Amino acid sequence: MNNSDLVIDIQHLTKNYNSGAETIPVLKDINLEVRRGEMVAIMGPSGSGKSTLLFILGIFQPATSGVYNVAGVDVLSLDRDAQAIFRREKMGFVFQSCDLLENSTVYENLELPLIYTGVKRRDRSDMIMEALQRVNLEHRVRQPSNRLSGGERQRVSIARALVNEPEFILADEPTGQLDQANSERVMDYFVKITEEARVAMVIVTHDASTAERCSRRSLLSDGLLKPY
Amino acid sequence: MANKSLQSLRAAGFLPPDRGTRLLRFRDLIRISFREVVRKRRRYIGVMAAIALGTAGFITIVTMGRDLKANFNNDLDLLGGATIIAAHFDPQMYDRQEWFRTRTIEAVEQIPGVRDVTTSRLRSGATTTYQEKVYGFNLIGVDSNYWSLFSFTPRYGRLFTAEDVAEGRKVCVLGQDLAKTIFGAPEAAIGQILNLDNNLYHVVGIIGGVRAADKTLMAFLPISTAKARIPNISEISSLYIRCNTWDDVAPVAAALETVITTSQASKGLRVQVAWEPLQQVQRMFWWVSLFIYASIGATLVLGGFGIWNIMMAAVTARTREIGLKKAMGAEDSDILWQFLFEALTVTFTSAFLGVVIGRVGIEYMSRMLGSSPPEGLFFLCLSAGLAFAAVLGIGSGLYPSIRASRMQVVDAMRYE
Repeated sequence: MNNSDLVIDIQHLTKNYNSGAETIPVLKDINLEVRRGEMVAIMGPSGSGKSTLLFILGIFQPATSGVYNVAGVDVLSLDRDAQAIFRREKMGFVFQSCDLLENSTVYENLELPLIYTGVKRRDRSDMIMEALQRVNLEHRVRQPSNRLSGGERQRVSIARALVNEPEFILADEPTGQLDQANSERVMDYFVKITEEARVAMVIVTHDASTAERCSRRSLLSDGLLKPY
Repeated sequence: MANKSLQSLRAAGFLPPDRGTRLLRFRDLIRISFREVVRKRRRYIGVMAAIALGTAGFITIVTMGRDLKANFNNDLDLLGGATIIAAHFDPQMYDRQEWFRTRTIEAVEQIPGVRDVTTSRLRSGATTTYQEKVYGFNLIGVDSNYWSLFSFTPRYGRLFTAEDVAEGRKVCVLGQDLAKTIFGAPEAAIGQILNLDNNLYHVVGIIGGVRAADKTLMAFLPISTAKARIPNISEISSLYIRCNTWDDVAPVAAALETVITTSQASKGLRVQVAWEPLQQVQRMFWWVSLFIYASIGATLVLGGFGIWNIMMAAVTARTREIGLKKAMGAEDSDILWQFLFEALTVTFTSAFLGVVIGRVGIEYMSRMLGSSPPEGLFFLCLSAGLAFAAVLGIGSGLYPSIRASRMQVVDAMRYE
């Protein structure tokens, strides 16, 4: 691996929350490097700051101090609009609650990131079908999202995260609401995508079997990230 | 600041060059907003109905306003002849008595705002003999406008037509009491022959209507017949002018004196307007108009508040959706436009429905009133309705849209 493969580079990152006069340190000194084709699991008990780290990785909220570079760009210094453009061009998200737009079809869910990216209408269909083929759901393209099973919804979420061909994908407890069989299946897709598309992936989970499937595992405890 | 950051990222090759897709996104946002409103139509149906009815009311009332006023004139005039102007020449003791010349009458008919002009000739103390009895009465020669101008209607039979006047037919209309006195019953007079100055006239009708009470002992002949056949009948010393609406009365009254004076000698001219009933009618209509417009305004404003309320509730209910869209890369402006377009979709759809309902209302009322309102006014109202829809949509949707667009992603994503 060389330096050009480095996608996520976090150095001495901290995050404090203020509660009245009290300052609560949630992330104390986080260091993390993720390269293309790597799938990193971040584990930890509830309240350990996993979601906070994920929100910082997704540039949903700022860090208190430290450096967060993506391919050499200090993304935390970007302004709001630049962060939004960065997210739609470079990132994909998969959430625990299989967040799909209700009252919308699978196609419409996958179309939205392409609209924000400015992909022309005539090009969208091919990109959507390609993303759905990766999770074997191309036959459900016109289905309303509320008629999908839990496993299917999560696979649509994965396809939506992939449709813009991102540099890396952030997944927050992606198997948290799935049974064993569906969890296995979703992880199969993650492994396949990471290897085939050479996407960097960070999965936040407290499920050991999900973490087992990742190429690297870290444990977030007491605000520090340690190899697991 | 934003551009500088984006430019540096693009210059470094980290982000692709600007695709210039803002317009494309704009069009897609309109499509998505429309789709959202259609799918959640049950939520919007109440306010849409309010705005549609308000717009329909506005368009109908404004477009039909003049015709409605004219129609009100007919009905309200029965109470006092508010739109009738009378012009007389006072009797002259030593000078020559003036009367209205034909050219004067034609000039009066041309005054803007004049709907009808009628003239009459009077013969006081006329007599007739029936079954060897002699009856005295006042005889008036009138033209066919006389009936409509004073809202007279036939109680029995018919009134004179324009043909009766033009051809100088020997027909007559009687007041109810005069007919009863001579023939025993008003209806018995129809078809009878009346002998006046050795000429025989067919009784064709009995005069009726609210204002007929002071004409019950009179007989009426076509003015042309009266002039040709009745000796000692007067010249035309009275003119009655009916205006289109009560708004026309003051300008017509002002113009009338000038027109008459420039057309002929006008010694003893007197112009009479029923100012008091006119002001009462105007006051009443002003209050009615105020009430109608206030109701329409209140309906539209309530519709606007309804949209505002729904949009505020939607922003809260769709917090997670907003967070999700921002996570997918929506800029603040994308969220703002989407919510604003949803509000505009609701108001424009409602206004469009209102225009359709208004058009149907106008067609229906036009047929009822037998009028043809100006098309230009309808299109002006249509434009005003659509402009108001835009103002209402922006006014009611802007604040909720700004609130949605400024939402922090992390707060939205954590919202349960």
